[in-house]
Amino acid sequence: MPDSDDILDAPGPTAPVDGASAVLDPAVPSSMPAGSEGAGGDGSAVAALDLTAPASAPVDPEGYQIRLRNFEGPLDLLLFLIKKKKVEINDIPIAVITREYLAYLGQLEKMDIDREAEFLLMAAVLIYIKSQTLLPREQVLEPDFEPKQRSIDHLLPYDRIKAVVELLRDKEEEQAQIWQRSALTAPLPDGDLDLVEVSLFDLAESFFALMKRKQAETARVFKGKEISMADKMSEIVEALKAQGAIDFLDYLWAQETLEEALIAFFCLLELIKARAVMAVQEQLFHTIKVWLRKDAPEKDES
Amino acid sequence: MTENLKSVLEALIFISVEPLTIERIKEVLPEDSEADIDEALRRLIDDYAEGTQAIHITRAAGGYVFSTKPAHDPHVRRLLQIERRKKLSGQALEVLSAIAYNQPVTQPEIAAIRGVDSSHALHTLLENNLIKISGRKEAPGRPLLYRTTDKFLAYFGLNAIEELPSADELKKLLEEGNS
Repeated sequence: MPDSDDILDAPGPTAPVDGASAVLDPAVPSSMPAGSEGAGGDGSAVAALDLTAPASAPVDPEGYQIRLRNFEGPLDLLLFLIKKKKVEINDIPIAVITREYLAYLGQLEKMDIDREAEFLLMAAVLIYIKSQTLLPREQVLEPDFEPKQRSIDHLLPYDRIKAVVELLRDKEEEQAQIWQRSALTAPLPDGDLDLVEVSLFDLAESFFALMKRKQAETARVFKGKEISMADKMSEIVEALKAQGAIDFLDYLWAQETLEEALIAFFCLLELIKARAVMAVQEQLFHTIKVWLRKDAPEKDES
Repeated sequence: MTENLKSVLEALIFISVEPLTIERIKEVLPEDSEADIDEALRRLIDDYAEGTQAIHITRAAGGYVFSTKPAHDPHVRRLLQIERRKKLSGQALEVLSAIAYNQPVTQPEIAAIRGVDSSHALHTLLENNLIKISGRKEAPGRPLLYRTTDKFLAYFGLNAIEELPSADELKKLLEEGNS
């Protein structure tokens, strides 16, 4: 953006390239006269700029490095230092940074969109901060107006938020001991989980009830049919993929033998442990359903 | 007359599973004056609070509802087969506090307060209806604005958001805590 040169930076005379001078020196910025730079400024502060930065900007594996007289390193570090007031924004020639960065982009054979987007974002913040310091300020603004803090100044600070958290936790505790009849009809709000995940005991209880039924029913014994856990597990995963969700009890009930039901039960436990599936009771006293976790790691057990 | 009204109110609250608001009561009882209703309600609540009954009338989200007294919590949980009530995570509580005090507020603003990303907690709170989207901010990107819901109030046993201590009161609390 060559047009912005006049506003943002007045290019100063070319300074000699000096490798050592490029290292960040906290003493330099603080000793520099602040605000010496304005529209069409004489560039006295900017004179220190390294405008001779070679057209062959370095392609660093760690990302684009900024090389200025008083700063060398990645842009996020620069932004951090400016926010921490370790570096004076007026000492940072943004036109130079953008010009060199554009040259650098032109050289790239392949662009890493994520990385460059991040750079653009940070550069935009930098430009915003700088533009705020350069624009004439309206008198109505508070004297300690700081552009970068404006947006969060009216928000409740974090330490007070922490106090509220304590308070709400007490209230939650208090409320947890008071029951209303709506508890019977509606699921309770829960924090970490999206649905009420059932405990091992819920599963076991359901299973033992089933075993009793199964035992009573059975006289059929299949010999020679051996089922491995791995086979059963992939069978369950297949069923889940096909049907979306299965009813925990119905699924075990549908197994041919008690032994097979047992294996299926252990497989389900394994899958839950591996966080591949989720056992969920949508409402109190409802049946337990098993779902594939959407965020499940794609790992083949077999 | 008030005795009868009191008993009518008792029936109305009893039959309401969700908190019954005063507005709704007035709608149902147009022939009774507001002062009469307030008086009868107050006496009804006192009767339960002072009595030996296992239930009392609590206010939640600006409405009235029958609840069990805290002493019976263990037994109720046994009946409902709930070992422990699910609690909100610390993260969710933080986000909720940030929203409660700054609403309507955008996700970037919440992130600015907490210093970390809050999208997961926001999602959980939205799913549980503790917060809602109330519009978009007229700012670059038009980010969504979040507010707390009536369910938030009910969940924490509050009638109105004003029942939470003010920002200044919190500051005092913190100073006392530190000294």
